[in-house]
Amino acid sequence: MSVKLTQGAIEALFNKSMVQSPILQVLNIREYPAGKQGVNKYRLNLSDGERSLSYFLLGTHLNHLRESELLEPNCVCVLNKTMFSNLASRRVVVVLDMDVLQSAAETGGRIGNPTQLTDQTPDQQQAEPSTSRSDEIPGPSGCGPGGGGNYGMKTSPMKAPAPRMASPMQASPMKAPGMVSPMQASPMKAHGMASPMKTPGMASPMQASPMKAPGMASPRMASPMKAPGMASPMQASPMKAPGMASPMQASPLKAHGMASPRMTSPMTPSPMKGSGMASPSSSPSKSPTRMTPIYQLSPYLSNWTIKARVINKSDIRNWSNARGEGKVFDFEVVDETGEIKITAFNEEVDKFFSLVEQDRVYLISKGTVKLANKQFTSLKNDYAITLSASSRIVPCDDDRGVPNLLCQFVPISQLEDKDPDAVVDVIGVCEEAEDVSLITTKAGKQLSKRALTLTDSSGKMVTLTLWGDQAQKFNASCHPVVAVRKARVSTFGGRSLMVFLNSTLIVNPDIPEAFALRDWYNQVGHALCSQSLTEVLSASGDFRTNWKTLRDVKTEQLGHGEKADYFSCVATVVFCRKENCLYRACPGGSCHKKVHEQDDGRYRCDKCGKDYPNFNYRFMLSVNLADFGDNMWATCFQETAETLLGISAEQLGHLKDTDENAFDNVFDKIYFSTHVFRNRVKLENFNDECRVKVTVMEVLPADQRQHSRRLLNAIRELAAPLIDIDA
Amino acid sequence: MSNTMESPKPRINSSMLTQYISKPVCFVGHVETVHNTGKSFSVADGEGRSVCVELNDPLEEELSGIVEVIGMVSNKGAIRATTFNMLRDEKGIPFDLELYNEAVKVIHDFPQHYPFDMAASR
Repeated sequence: MSVKLTQGAIEALFNKSMVQSPILQVLNIREYPAGKQGVNKYRLNLSDGERSLSYFLLGTHLNHLRESELLEPNCVCVLNKTMFSNLASRRVVVVLDMDVLQSAAETGGRIGNPTQLTDQTPDQQQAEPSTSRSDEIPGPSGCGPGGGGNYGMKTSPMKAPAPRMASPMQASPMKAPGMVSPMQASPMKAHGMASPMKTPGMASPMQASPMKAPGMASPRMASPMKAPGMASPMQASPMKAPGMASPMQASPLKAHGMASPRMTSPMTPSPMKGSGMASPSSSPSKSPTRMTPIYQLSPYLSNWTIKARVINKSDIRNWSNARGEGKVFDFEVVDETGEIKITAFNEEVDKFFSLVEQDRVYLISKGTVKLANKQFTSLKNDYAITLSASSRIVPCDDDRGVPNLLCQFVPISQLEDKDPDAVVDVIGVCEEAEDVSLITTKAGKQLSKRALTLTDSSGKMVTLTLWGDQAQKFNASCHPVVAVRKARVSTFGGRSLMVFLNSTLIVNPDIPEAFALRDWYNQVGHALCSQSLTEVLSASGDFRTNWKTLRDVKTEQLGHGEKADYFSCVATVVFCRKENCLYRACPGGSCHKKVHEQDDGRYRCDKCGKDYPNFNYRFMLSVNLADFGDNMWATCFQETAETLLGISAEQLGHLKDTDENAFDNVFDKIYFSTHVFRNRVKLENFNDECRVKVTVMEVLPADQRQHSRRLLNAIRELAAPLIDIDA
Repeated sequence: MSNTMESPKPRINSSMLTQYISKPVCFVGHVETVHNTGKSFSVADGEGRSVCVELNDPLEEELSGIVEVIGMVSNKGAIRATTFNMLRDEKGIPFDLELYNEAVKVIHDFPQHYPFDMAASR
């Protein structure tokens, strides 16, 4: 069972021609340990039996293959997906997906007698990069980190577990797709390399130079340091052109311990020749430039360019807080390797807001990559980009290879199993759309809202809620196919979907799932009486209310979750606790805390820390509500109690002290009166005891007609599945 | 006729008349026309169809609005009323006849959930 290696694959890959799932043997694996915040990087030397190439980088998401020891020297694997990359004229193949076909043990030894391919000479064996490298460094340019002395570049770098570092020169990668030349430098740093260290990163780059001119390098080095983003690809140039490159090396250094040298590939001095590197870096916006795949973006990388599609552009938000005010907008971009969020503030908002359009592909460069604030994004990326004054965004018409959407659609029927607040992607046909309704938020702002009913081939329907502009602009004619990315599942009315900050809504998207859904709908779906996961709400008006019966409160265990549940019900008041319905509250401003009577007749408020000569009566009324199935205790505070009783707290307080009959009458009037109660229910822990507490948020007169219609609709809905559809 | 008061009287609309011939029923509808003799009038139910109601004694007062008629269904499809009462608007809320019609339909569609007959027959 020797698996046959794909002969000629190595040479083909080296020449950047695609090979379909080549089967190769792993000859060697080099590990580049992770820096402070990174992950390990592995470089593979793969062979096809004839030639071998050690410029294969294992995508970090495949690290587990190595770490679990599946991937070992001599094992045979198949590369399912690769990507070409260029680091200062060094060709690198990034392995995005691979499988191990045969373990090292099964394979036995090395298959064939492959010769190593390098950039320079195909036959040159680059087994030990470090040493050979040093020789190449012409070093005159004194790039030398100037430290000199112990530089011993040649070998010193070696100290570091990552000898590769030597090559740092090649560094130019800066621009290169995530190659992060910095690596080069960093390892050095890590190992206390090179004294030159005057400028932290410097070390390695120097290769030879250090030796020569210790003093020299430093100045040079210094400069780059200042300008991290220095394009000068440096490659070899440093060697040649003193003022050049070094920055490169330097910059990486600055970027702290990248630790994963990655590419460094000790190989070849060829990088040296790459002075041409400079150009690419200076104009990152040109398509031919090496693109950095999004998944390789990190703060340690400078001079990157990504080519990606905008999939979610937010509106401009203005804010004003203690530190000042400003505006911000953000958008998410995606390429075939991943997604990342890009934010622009203040001036950049003005610059880029009109330029960036959803669904278009752009070349973006010179943004600042930093750790993502997970609160604001749900993207699968540890980093996020912030645009700065030097950022560039150029539209790119060539969108080959850039996916439209990265969506993993969940069938509607599976939404029932999703936890509330889970973020999902859903696609469905918009069966019905309510009209735009205006609601007032707790902050007092007016917000438009629209509910759509989506149905899909799973036979279930769900309600999707849109807000603001999206709600108003949505065109529901002709049953459009609606795809929503990152909608939040909520337990409102059973299960429903909400669009929130990070969601993307696309109407009639250009993806195969949309076409399939359209076909299904035209043939089958439109006639199907799908069952809605969202409780059917009667026509406009009480759209947002969650109607429950009192029995449901117990059976559905409302309020038992982490967050309080809100529901509305039609119920009758059967009893009131008259005795303790009022309490004495602090008269100062908005403080409603209970005050205590002091000996001198004044009333002290603990919260305000003051005492007052008087107090305000405030309501805290316990009522027992009942309907056909159950009864429950609920608490009405000031506003709701006043609405229910039809009398103010002050007046009732007065009656209590003066006319007891009148006081009782107030309550007698409401006994057995039916109202609509909008309540908040929550399980609360009170001295080790867990109790479900219900607070009445609003009391509304019972609209029996509306209630009846609601019940009739519910009856019909529930009965629908029993009716033979084919009839 | 007196037996109409002893047994439960199912609420019906005009489409169910034929099933309840010679049975006591309760019919609610909107008064449309009153015969000049005052011995009969027509009521329209929530679906718009009218039914003729015949009285033993002529009407003494003006009849208008929504009425609830209790009586027997004759084989001609009219109702021989034993008693009737006008439903007044309560608190300004008008009687929603369509909603009532829907409710009547539900009662008849799901008799297993509305066992009115059971209560009567001991």
